[in-house]
Amino acid sequence: MIADASGWGANQASSLQALRDLRSARRRHYAAQVDWIEAGYRLYLGVIFGGWALALISGALADVRVDGHALEQIHQRGAAALGLLVAVAVAAGLRSGGRGGPLVLEAPDVQHVLLAPVDRGAALRGLAVRRLRTAGFLGLVLGLIAGIFAFRRLPGRPAEWLLCGGVFGGAVAVSALASALIASGRRLHRVVIWVLAALIVGWSVADFVGQRVTSPASMLGALALWPLHRANESFVLPAAGLLVVTVAAVLGLTGLAGTSLEAARRRAGLAAQLRFAVTTQDLRAIILLRRQLASEIPRRRPWLALAPPDGARRRRWRRLAPSDGPRNAIWQRDWQSFLRWPLVRVLRVGALGALAGLSLLAVWRGTTPLVLVAAFALMVAAFDAVEPIGQEVDHPTLLALLPVGAGQVIRQHLRAPTTVMAGVGLIATATAIVAGAPAGLIGVILVMTVPTALLSLSCAALSVTNDPFAYVLAPELGYFQTGFPVALVVIGVGGPVLLARQAARHGASAVGAAVACELAVFAISLAVMAYLAYRIAARVPVRS
Amino acid sequence: MTATDRAAADPPVLAADGLRREYDDLLALAPLDLAVGPGELVALVGSNGAGKTTLLTVAAGLVEPSHGTIHICGALAGSLEARARTSYIPDTPVFYQDLSLNEHLEYIARLHAAEDWRDRAPHLLEPLGLQQWGDKLPNQFSRGMRQKASIALGFIRPFSLLLADEPFDGLDPPSRTVLVEMLRAAAAEGAAVIVSTHRTEVADFSSRCIALHDGQLVYDGPPDRSIIAGHLPPQDGLLVADVPESG
Repeated sequence: MIADASGWGANQASSLQALRDLRSARRRHYAAQVDWIEAGYRLYLGVIFGGWALALISGALADVRVDGHALEQIHQRGAAALGLLVAVAVAAGLRSGGRGGPLVLEAPDVQHVLLAPVDRGAALRGLAVRRLRTAGFLGLVLGLIAGIFAFRRLPGRPAEWLLCGGVFGGAVAVSALASALIASGRRLHRVVIWVLAALIVGWSVADFVGQRVTSPASMLGALALWPLHRANESFVLPAAGLLVVTVAAVLGLTGLAGTSLEAARRRAGLAAQLRFAVTTQDLRAIILLRRQLASEIPRRRPWLALAPPDGARRRRWRRLAPSDGPRNAIWQRDWQSFLRWPLVRVLRVGALGALAGLSLLAVWRGTTPLVLVAAFALMVAAFDAVEPIGQEVDHPTLLALLPVGAGQVIRQHLRAPTTVMAGVGLIATATAIVAGAPAGLIGVILVMTVPTALLSLSCAALSVTNDPFAYVLAPELGYFQTGFPVALVVIGVGGPVLLARQAARHGASAVGAAVACELAVFAISLAVMAYLAYRIAARVPVRS
Repeated sequence: MTATDRAAADPPVLAADGLRREYDDLLALAPLDLAVGPGELVALVGSNGAGKTTLLTVAAGLVEPSHGTIHICGALAGSLEARARTSYIPDTPVFYQDLSLNEHLEYIARLHAAEDWRDRAPHLLEPLGLQQWGDKLPNQFSRGMRQKASIALGFIRPFSLLLADEPFDGLDPPSRTVLVEMLRAAAAEGAAVIVSTHRTEVADFSSRCIALHDGQLVYDGPPDRSIIAGHLPPQDGLLVADVPESG
């Protein structure tokens, strides 16, 4: 049957109706498969545990009011500091959009809907709105939690803090997603994206340095802190910030038709694999697929070449690296891996170190639950640092063919990543110092650096080498297998800092308390490493 | 009037002008000028990595060219008008896992404003041996059945250009014969049909053969085994070595 495309304008309405019917049929199929009793039970559990967690967080917050100096700082720079957070989120959104994000379509939608003569903007709008809604809701929840933190420490009415925190959280999420939609739908060139991101972040940095509120991002920051100085300020700046977010969302939604099908198809394939990996709790696969989704690929040229030079320089090189044994080979191989990290990974790991430092400072000052943030930040950084071990485990036959025991290889592989994680610890220390950490805390963080690096690495290595199919028939054991390393890191990070804080509050030596704790953390790390080496050695095809 | 004569007389269905595609530093498709007219049945041959799938996906609008243009019936590939005229059967069948084959046929036909799908669906499913499988979900299908279902989806909607990427893979011999007849019928009705394949029998019934090697067009002419083999490197020559003499 030969197509006659001359009357396609008239056929648009019927095609769009077909698309609506298709979506509705899929919703019906989905609804028919849902076990509503099971779903209700899960919701019930969610509400119970969510409420319990919220109460726990709320109760765990010591009522430490910020002092006058800190309050003055917040007055002067708080909005710009929060604006900087918004600007970074928007820059990340732009970057994601430049790589085809943020929408993740199903492969059949790309093949059957986007290749059909249907307005692509209309076809994608529903999905984009759902993404905006979900992101906005998650941002709102996080903002509400931040509001709980705020009203216990800052002057102002609790309801206002909760409301402004929630709206701010939602607005940050929507602005990041909207900027991604704009970059993706309007096909912004990579250079344009970098320039825009630099301008947006730069404007916020200028606001922070100059203690002003001029950028839209800082205006959103002013919204978050509005309960603090509402008596002195009108709502014009926060409202302007919200208006910019709304305009960005509209721009994002109206430009969807330009979304690249090539990127959509690639992301569809990766997302399908990612969903399966999440279902099986296969952390290694999740990390690799997430990197592919973000187009985070190793640099073609390393930051620094490690290959031995020729001639006279070679002799000098040999003096510096005299042994060609497996220890040096593995050490060098690991650094070759790190030196190919893309810029975004370098920045991420650095940012995670800074986040850990700031969280530990907040813990020290009384916000205990942020110990979870510090632990998660270090664990996520360790997932990047542990990549060489992941590569070994991905290729068990190559590992088995080495003339060295697999356990020894894995142990050697922990040296370079530990150095990297120690560097992350130093970034945490430096950030804490810049943020005004007391000497006691700085000493504690320095004491923690190496044992925590070892623990987070060995736990990350344990996580990425878990067999995702080991407990298919007993999912509860699978959850334990996934959660155990994370719990160890939370204990390993939280225990020392909390005990040190307690010691300091009672006039004892914080560093002394931390040293005692870190001995235990060190012992746990060695035990985890030994188990890791044993497990991988037992798994390789040829026993060494 | 042969298909080639008709193609020469009518404006081309597919017209590529300086078409080029790169993936980073890999050249997938060298600058290519190509015109395929209505009624032509083109066998697109070449070894793995020759650029066949790239050419088809660019024509379908799934992949954008790095340089040059490709028009379908005068409209830029990927535009709404071009999508209305182009049917693309991918090398890997793609289905919604929660829709039956009949539902796929219905919605794909309706998305292309083919309201007569109810009448046409049985005539598509019956020769492909899928008439009993219309109400089944794709996850119940074997590899070959998925391929046949994908072919049915490609034919349920109207098209002026049919792009089929390795459509014979996974099909049993009777189904291959059915597919050959379907492709021939589409070309006879005036559609331009381009079939990428490793299978030599396609050259038997095609009206024209295009051979690619490393992204370069190395042959464009009648589907003659000896001539094609002469234009391909030895390893690609194996591809056409057992083409039976056309009768």
